[in-house]
This record gives sequence, C-alpha cells and structure tokens, in this order.
Amino acid sequence: MRGDTLLEIEALTKVYRSRRRGDVRAVDGVSFRVGASEVVGLLGPNGAGKTTTIKCLSTIVRPTSGRIALDGVDAVRHPRAAVEKVAAVLEGNRNIYWRLTVRENLEFFAALQGLRARAVRASIDELIGRFGLGDKARTPARMLSKGMQQKLALACAFVKETPLLVLDEPTLGLDVESSHDLRVHIKEAAAAGGRTILLSSHDMDVVQDVCERVVIVNGGRVVTDDRVANLLELFGARAYRFTIAGPVGGPLGDALRVRFPLLDARSDPYRSEIDVELPDGAGFYDLVDILRESRSVVESIDRRDPNLEEIFLKIVTQEAPQGGAR
Amino acid sequence: MRTLVLLWAMTKREAIELRRYAFDTVMQLVTIYVVFLLIFFGAKAFIGGAARTGGTLPGIVVGFMMWTLAISAYSDVSFTLVQEATAGTLEQIAMAPLGLPRVLVARFLAGLGFNLVIQLALLLLMMATTGQWLHLDLLSILPLMAVTVAGVFGIGLAVGGLALVFKRVQSVMQILQFAFVALVALPLDRFPFFKYLPLAWGNHLIGRVMIDGISIVRIPGPDLALLLAVSVAWAGLGLAFMSRLDRVARSRALLGHY
Ligand SMILES: Nc1ncnc2c1ncn2[C@@H]1O[C@H](COP(=O)(O)OP(=O)(O)OP(=O)(O)O)[C@@H](O)[C@H]1O
Ligand SMILES: [Mg+2]
Repeated sequence: MRGDTLLEIEALTKVYRSRRRGDVRAVDGVSFRVGASEVVGLLGPNGAGKTTTIKCLSTIVRPTSGRIALDGVDAVRHPRAAVEKVAAVLEGNRNIYWRLTVRENLEFFAALQGLRARAVRASIDELIGRFGLGDKARTPARMLSKGMQQKLALACAFVKETPLLVLDEPTLGLDVESSHDLRVHIKEAAAAGGRTILLSSHDMDVVQDVCERVVIVNGGRVVTDDRVANLLELFGARAYRFTIAGPVGGPLGDALRVRFPLLDARSDPYRSEIDVELPDGAGFYDLVDILRESRSVVESIDRRDPNLEEIFLKIVTQEAPQGGAR
Repeated sequence: MRTLVLLWAMTKREAIELRRYAFDTVMQLVTIYVVFLLIFFGAKAFIGGAARTGGTLPGIVVGFMMWTLAISAYSDVSFTLVQEATAGTLEQIAMAPLGLPRVLVARFLAGLGFNLVIQLALLLLMMATTGQWLHLDLLSILPLMAVTVAGVFGIGLAVGGLALVFKRVQSVMQILQFAFVALVALPLDRFPFFKYLPLAWGNHLIGRVMIDGISIVRIPGPDLALLLAVSVAWAGLGLAFMSRLDRVARSRALLGHY
C-alpha cells in the first residue's frame, strides 16, 4: 500500500430483508483498505457480494451496518459529501445517455458532479484522446460499439475528477480485443491521473494485468487480501509436478492417496504425472519416501507456476494454502 | 453555483434531445393539437350555439392548455425517473453530490422553460384555428403558469418516488393524467375544495387573465397568495415524500432495478 489510505471499509454488512426468501446477508462484515493511487481487484464468485459492496461505496445502497470512509469522509453518515470522492461504472448498466454524443455525455456527467464546462474542457479533450474516441466525439452513444460504449462509460467516470473510481466488471461482455484495449486504458488513465481504482471482475487476466493487490470475497466475507505477486509466489512455491516412469497404481497409488488425498495423478503405461501442493517440507519428504518405497523412477520434479485463476479457484473452494498437506 | 451548473447541464441536455428528436417533438405537438381539435369541436357541436355567448369555449382553450402543460411537467419527473431506471442511468444521477431530489428539481425547471414556450406556440395555433382570441398578457400569464405547474410537479415527484420503490406504478401514472382533466374542467363553485389541489386554482386565475382580461396586478392579493401557498405546499410535500422514498430505495437497493 502506497501513501495514505483513501478508502477504508470496516465491518461492512448489508442484509437484504425479504419476506418471501428470508434475509440475505449479501455482505457480512467486510473490512479492507485501499491506499491512494492503488489499483485493487475485488474478486469473488457469483453472489459473493462484490456489487453490493461497490454500491455501498457509491452511496446508492445504504449499508445495514459498518463504516466506509472515502478520503476521510464518512459515506454512511454523509453520503452527499462522500460522492464527491467517488465515481462508479456499474455492472450491466448503460451508465451513459444513449441520445447524447460522446462529448455531450462527458460534459453532462462533469456538470452533474458540479464541474463547470470551461473547467473540464481540457480534460474532456484529453479523455477523448486517451480512450480513442476521437473519431466518435460527435456520435450519439447508442451508435457506438459495445466496447466503445464501455470506454465512454469509463471516461464519464474519469471526467468527474474524483480520487476514487469503482468499476464493477468493466470488461463484461467485451470481446478479447476490446477487453485488452480497455485494460490498457484503465492502466494508463490510472497512472496518468494518480487515481485510486477498485475493480471487480471475473476475468483473472484482467485482474492480473491491472491490479497490484486483490481482495477476495466469498459468501459476503473477505477470505484473502494480498498482493497479486505474493499470491503467485505463495502458491507457486508449493505446487509441484513429479514425473515418474510407469503407471501409478496398486499399492503406490493407495499409499499416495492416503497421505495426499487431494493429489492429482495422470498416468499412461509409460509415464505418470503427479500434481501436488506441498505447503511444508515434511510433505515433500513424505512423498519422496513413498516413491522410494515403491522403487519408482523419478524422471523430473518441477515447480509449477499457477496463474491467478487457479489460485482464485483454490481460495474460493476453500482449499486454502494453510490447509496442510494434500 | 453547483445548482446553476446542474441547471445549465439539464437545460442543455433537454435542448439537445428536443432538437435531435425534433420529429418526435413535432409528432407529440401534432397529437396534442389533434386531440384539442376533437375536444373543442366536439364540445362546440355538443353545446351548440349557446356556448358562443356563455364563455365555455374559451374555458376549454385555457383548460386544455393548462392540462397539457401540467402533463408535461408531471411526466418530466415521473416518467423520466422510470425511463432513467430502465435505461440504467438512474444510479448515475443518484450519485450526484447535490442529491436526487435536487437533480429532479433541476430537470423540472429545465423542462419548464421549454414547456412554456411550446405551450404558447400551441396556444397561438389553437386560438388561430378556433377563432377564440384570448388576452395574451404574457407578463401575467407566465408567472401564473409557472407557479401553478409547480404544484403538479410535486405530484410528479411523489409518483416518481413511488415508482422507485414499488416499480409497477405506471398505470397509476397514466390514470393521474386523466385526473388532471377533472381539475381543469370541473367548476370550482361546485367543487370548492379543488382550490386546495394543484392546478385547479391556477387554471381559474389564468382564465381570469386570458378570458376576462384582468392583469395579474389586479387579481386580489389573497387569491394570488392562495395559489402560491397551494403550489408551494404540494411541491414541498412532493419533495419530502420523494426524499423519503429515495432513502428507502437506497436501503433496499432498489435504484438499480426496474
Ligand atoms: N436488491 C437486492 N435484493 C435482495 N437481494 C439482493 C439484492 N441485490 C443482491 N442481492 C443478493 O445479494 C447477494 C450478493 O449479490 P451481489 O450482486 O453483491 O454479488 P456479486 O458478487 O456482485 O455477484 P456477481 O458476480 O454475480 O455479480 C446475492 O445473494 C444476491 O442474490
Ligand atoms: Mg456483481
């Protein structure tokens, strides 16, 4: 975390009351901080509470309890003062006016934030250029491609000149190229403006590419809060692939499965690959012992480099790395 | 300052939409005009020659004008809210630092200017077609119209607020438009309590200016005060109700759904 804390969430809870379906604890005691100029990913499976958290930050959903401070302003007690600190691009919404052109949308949203046209003219020009909307400045938003519309929505959030931006699944529904394009824009714009960004996404490539740190939520709770590089290292250091000659079967297979219930082995008559996570040194030597007892020929031992997607899946399916040998 | 920036932005957006969708705008005016002709000549045939001396036909012109003005002010908030909710822009305007109620007031004021101009143009057209030339004392009419319509705006806010929370209120919205007909058409001497509802008293006073040729300065003070008080009360109630429902919608996370 660099510099000062810009966003501070403490014990945030949101309960949706419903007579028909009973109460839903969409967010259940979430706490995390984001430092100024950080780009943080908010990850979690469907229904984890990401959108609810983001809407609470944006003041359009009022939390049941908990504290949110946006650049020092209490967003629960003083939502009007707090929205001066945050702009949001919300999931699945249009976020922009169909009938207005690119430039008109930017001008409108700046004014909605209280910024005078003259004061933002230069930054609007800059955003139009940065997001590659130059040819389309006079085109009504409804005639833009989906990728362009999403870029415009982002630009409309940037034009508000708030220190914090929250982006809920900004690349949803975009093709590979547009998604890639958008990532580049997010990174550049964040770096250029020194903005703090909290971004939710199911696309781990996007997160790995854009975010320095991730907060992973599941069932309304934070399950992991760490730097992406740390996670990769943490998981990478523990994942091994043993390649041995011959099939894994009979007593060897049984012995392995008793000691490492979660190991993943694939064999053909000539060679077997055993993928296993060995979080402590003991596990490694236990495995080697088992192989020695069965007189297996070890052809190679490799450290595997997991990607964020695999790490994410492990974390949310509760195969936490602290879970011991497997 | 911020309020002015917001008001200017809303006015600009309104102007852009009116211009860009000029065909829609014109078609709406044509529809209103045709409805007017049907009502006017229908009434004329129905009442017969007697009306020509009785003053009923000028009353229809004024009442119709006030009704269409009321509907445009009313739908500027209520239908706009539904539209924004469906389009997915409502959450964005709900994030305005000035707050949703004030954004809606700005929207109303921006719409009001355009509505007044459009209404006057329509009025000229109606007078020309029907030969019912009324007193066009703009300095008297415009303030009365603006104040009268503020009361209707309050109703629009209240219904818009209900739409935020309860969603399926479009039928109520439509029915209310016809309830406004009663407010401009029914005689106040038989329904005196209508004075305290939006629209009716203002419509009466504008009738005095346009039909009887009385200037606003000659209307008795208490009569003007009543109009102002009733309009301010309804607008205030509407705003308070809307603010309350805005909070309910935020605590139930309803702004994003429609
Ligand atoms: N307005 C609402 N009323 C009742 N329940 C809701 C409402 N909005 C969300 N929920 C519930 O709250 C929980 C969290 O939803 P939320 O949308 O925050 O999850 P999410 O992490 O954004 O999921 P996704 O990845 O699918 O977007 C879900 O169980 C959802 O059904
Ligand atoms: Mg979501």
